[in-house]
Amino acid sequence: MDLTLFGLTDIVLSLKATSLANFFAMLISFSFVMVLFLAPKYVLTKSFYALLTLLTASLFLIVYSNDYLLFFIGWEVMSITTYFLLSFTLSKEALHKYIIFAMASALSLFIAILMLYSTNHSFLYADAHESFMLLTDVNSILFVVLMLFAIFIKLGTIGFHYWLVDAYEESQNLFTPFLSAVVSKMGVYALIIFVVNITQPAYVLAVMGVLTSIIATFKAIQEDNAKRLLAYSSIAQLGYIVTVLGVADGLGGALYHSLIHTAVKLLLFINVAGIIYVTGRSKFSELGGLIYRMPQSFVLLLIGIIALAGMPPLGGFASKFMIYTSLLDAKYLLILSAVMFSSASAFIYVYKLIYGIYLGHPSNKKLESVKEVPLSFLLPQYIVAIVLVVIGTFPALVVPYFNKILEELNLTAIPFTDTATLMTPYAQYNGFVVIGAFGATFVLVLLLFVSLRSKAKEAKDRFDIAYCGEEPNEGTHLHYGFGMGKELKRVGFISVILKNSSSYFYDFLAKQISALSQMTRKIYSGKLSLNFNIAIVFLIILLWWSLK
Amino acid sequence: MIVIDLFLMLLVAYAVGFLYYGLYRNITARFQRRFGPPVWQSFIDSVKFFFKEESTSHGWMFYLGPIIMMSGAIMTLFFIPFFSSGDSFSGLSAYGNLFLVLYLLVLGPLGNALGVGTAGNPFGVMGVTRGLTRLFAMELPFYIAVIAIMSLSGSADIATIASGQTTFNAFAYPLLFIGALFSFIGMMGQAPFDVVGAPVEVYSGPASEFSGKFLALLMSQSAIFTFAKLVLMVHLFLGGASGFLELLLKTFVLFILVISFGSLYGRFKTPQSVDFLLKVPTTIAVVGLILATWS
Amino acid sequence: MEHNGFLQEQKTLEGDLNSDTSHKSSVDFLMNWFRKRSIFVLAYGTGCGAIEMPPTFTSRYDAERLGIRGAATPRQADVIIVSGYCSYKTLRRIIRTYEQMSNPKYLLALGSCTVNGGMYWDSYNTIKKLEDYLPVDMYVNGCMPRPESILEGFIALQKEIGEGKASSWQKYEENYEFYRKNQEAVLGEKVEPSYDADWYLYDGGL
Repeated sequence: MDLTLFGLTDIVLSLKATSLANFFAMLISFSFVMVLFLAPKYVLTKSFYALLTLLTASLFLIVYSNDYLLFFIGWEVMSITTYFLLSFTLSKEALHKYIIFAMASALSLFIAILMLYSTNHSFLYADAHESFMLLTDVNSILFVVLMLFAIFIKLGTIGFHYWLVDAYEESQNLFTPFLSAVVSKMGVYALIIFVVNITQPAYVLAVMGVLTSIIATFKAIQEDNAKRLLAYSSIAQLGYIVTVLGVADGLGGALYHSLIHTAVKLLLFINVAGIIYVTGRSKFSELGGLIYRMPQSFVLLLIGIIALAGMPPLGGFASKFMIYTSLLDAKYLLILSAVMFSSASAFIYVYKLIYGIYLGHPSNKKLESVKEVPLSFLLPQYIVAIVLVVIGTFPALVVPYFNKILEELNLTAIPFTDTATLMTPYAQYNGFVVIGAFGATFVLVLLLFVSLRSKAKEAKDRFDIAYCGEEPNEGTHLHYGFGMGKELKRVGFISVILKNSSSYFYDFLAKQISALSQMTRKIYSGKLSLNFNIAIVFLIILLWWSLK
Repeated sequence: MIVIDLFLMLLVAYAVGFLYYGLYRNITARFQRRFGPPVWQSFIDSVKFFFKEESTSHGWMFYLGPIIMMSGAIMTLFFIPFFSSGDSFSGLSAYGNLFLVLYLLVLGPLGNALGVGTAGNPFGVMGVTRGLTRLFAMELPFYIAVIAIMSLSGSADIATIASGQTTFNAFAYPLLFIGALFSFIGMMGQAPFDVVGAPVEVYSGPASEFSGKFLALLMSQSAIFTFAKLVLMVHLFLGGASGFLELLLKTFVLFILVISFGSLYGRFKTPQSVDFLLKVPTTIAVVGLILATWS
Repeated sequence: MEHNGFLQEQKTLEGDLNSDTSHKSSVDFLMNWFRKRSIFVLAYGTGCGAIEMPPTFTSRYDAERLGIRGAATPRQADVIIVSGYCSYKTLRRIIRTYEQMSNPKYLLALGSCTVNGGMYWDSYNTIKKLEDYLPVDMYVNGCMPRPESILEGFIALQKEIGEGKASSWQKYEENYEFYRKNQEAVLGEKVEPSYDADWYLYDGGL
């Protein structure tokens, strides 16, 4: 659908329902519905829901637009509505951080778009490659830097993530799943459009993605707050997508990982929202031992964690498998080792999440009398968990849809034989066999185990643990594991990551800009005589230049 | 029939795993100038625990923890073929690949970690956190070596990698083998990387709260898992095997090499082992990868 | 329960080494055979007799050839060795540890102090006869017994286990009130240890 803006036939705007747009639109609507399940339990004003709907509309505008101007309009509306939605609960400092970064991202995006327009007088995606080719060398590098700067801020790539963690931590518990699952995917969409239509800066994307996933994973291990840990985990997972988009045939892996990441973050954030709703706490040092009060939440978080870590029976492994084989195919071997390294390090914070909340011992007396979360929290989690299990069992179920997207973009399709086998040029695996064998083995071992001679006797109470002959009591501090990861500060290579923070750089930058503006402020002092002198000097220079 | 095939693989892994553990105690004893227990002692230990009158349990998640661990070990075994060609004793390897096996190696310890966390014994949790911290550092040199081998063989299928070696990978790419060997020492639970289950220092770590039949299941899965890991290393670096005798010989030689290291060296602390593993074996493996794939 | 001084444990040590064996059933025979061949000893030295345990379990006297090895936690152990005197403070921990071990469990009493108080027969702070507080399977007397004696004690214990006669854990369960009464008489109403390091200030004394 083509429009013209105020009758200016120069600027053609258009919307187009490509398969890629349909895929992202499906993710957006699914997340929107899941998040609304939580609405009955939170008392929020009508303006909140109006803003949320406006945000979703702007997201649809972003994915369905076929040219950069409508894309930019959607991007701006998204940033501003997110600002207002965050302003309900964020502290002033966190809110300022968000708006400065959002405005920087929007500004550099706009400059990049105008650079494209300046050569070819068209905003359409189809003409973007030509416009890019017509730029001079210096300008094309500038264009790529600006565009990547804008996209990396939205994606939360390391170095540009300064706003993201505080925003996720302090935002409304109903809004954080939506933020993490979908709004960050707009950055992914922008990057896909950039890579497919314009150019693919391969090494830059791969190295930035790998740095992001490694650094964010180690920062996640140190966190004590559940929401901050999940925020850093979000950054790390998006880093995988950035890495695989730096590879020639990586689009399939990127799409698959977007799907899995959306589902997993919905599940995890809604689970944590339920915990905060019931207990009022979100720090691991204040939680613990909730497994027997909330068994359903525990099992659902377990499914989310298995998918997040990329373990075989569930869907997370399928997306990681596609990412790895794409990298292997392109011979990015060291990059692949670094990605697998960060994926192995993810096991620590994944275990810390489930241990700090559900396992161990309760940190205070009130936790021993909580009830299970209400149904409005459990229902979206069950739906997402079923989706993850189904994708894990039939990993090639979504491959025909991805092939439609890939064919529209003139890329090579993923090979496909049956819905249970996920195939790539290097290797294949059959998800149904994996989960079937695991289930059968588990049931057989369980039956054999139960029928053994020795009976399982329940421990007398939670203090009946082997504690070196001593007996702990109520006052003994037994919930230990929440501090895991602290000893990593003593390892040389990792302490470099942990001791430094991007806040040092941004504080330095802010101080320098503040000092600079202090100097220039002196020009606009209150004295009339100074202003009059400056105006006369300026007029003289203007006259002299115009007379040249 | 595939079910008979799987059952026989399980039986062989169980028997040979326990035999190797008994031999390990004997050989370590000879290093220490004494005679050790009889060769079948580990098997007797595990069966004795099955015959305990009662075992203490801490709830349903604690009960299921060792079962998940055992299922994980059995699954890893099923996806690794015993021989580099042919249909017998190939298990389910036609439906999986090397990436799947690398991730299945972590499934068992995750189940163990869940069971240990439920019991809530602080010493158990300390052991689990040590294990997870050591895990990522230990896997890095191994991943680098495995990725190099996958790229050189052009496939991620274990049987193809094993049968495609004209000279053993251990001799053709020695730096890769040395880097992976450091990780493998840690994977087998040998010094200097065995801080996880330090018996008296951290109250035996993850095994601290398991008694009776739970402990028996832990020991059995340990035997099966050890054999699966040995067979994987043989296929990756020692050219696979085409018969039982060759398989047993190669796994035994690798096993002796690993436990010799274990009985001679002391134990690194957790930050020390992470530091070492991220520096020395990683550098060796990266240099090996660059040399192997540059041309 | 009365005893006749050293003659009692002398009988338990010598009397059974040559006797005939009789079993209840073949399943019991199998179980006892496995239990006898693999003994995990809790790594817990309760008194000065513990100095003789390390040489027994390491290279010089090598108890591992009999299938005996150390275990870290009471959950994994079969045998607890009460080596030497038992002060009241230690007795609390020994009782808690003994109750955390899983059945079948055996108690090996090392040294003369467990028989009749030994060197500390007139101390205000130790117990004089272990049999009153915890059921004992095998005594090994001496002050302290050398590793050879300990090994002989273990072999006798293995023989008893093999015949199904080492059933002190059943005796503890059946006569629990008797043992508990004796423990409370000397330790106070709260037999379990208090975790606090200044237990003697808050607990009301020894």
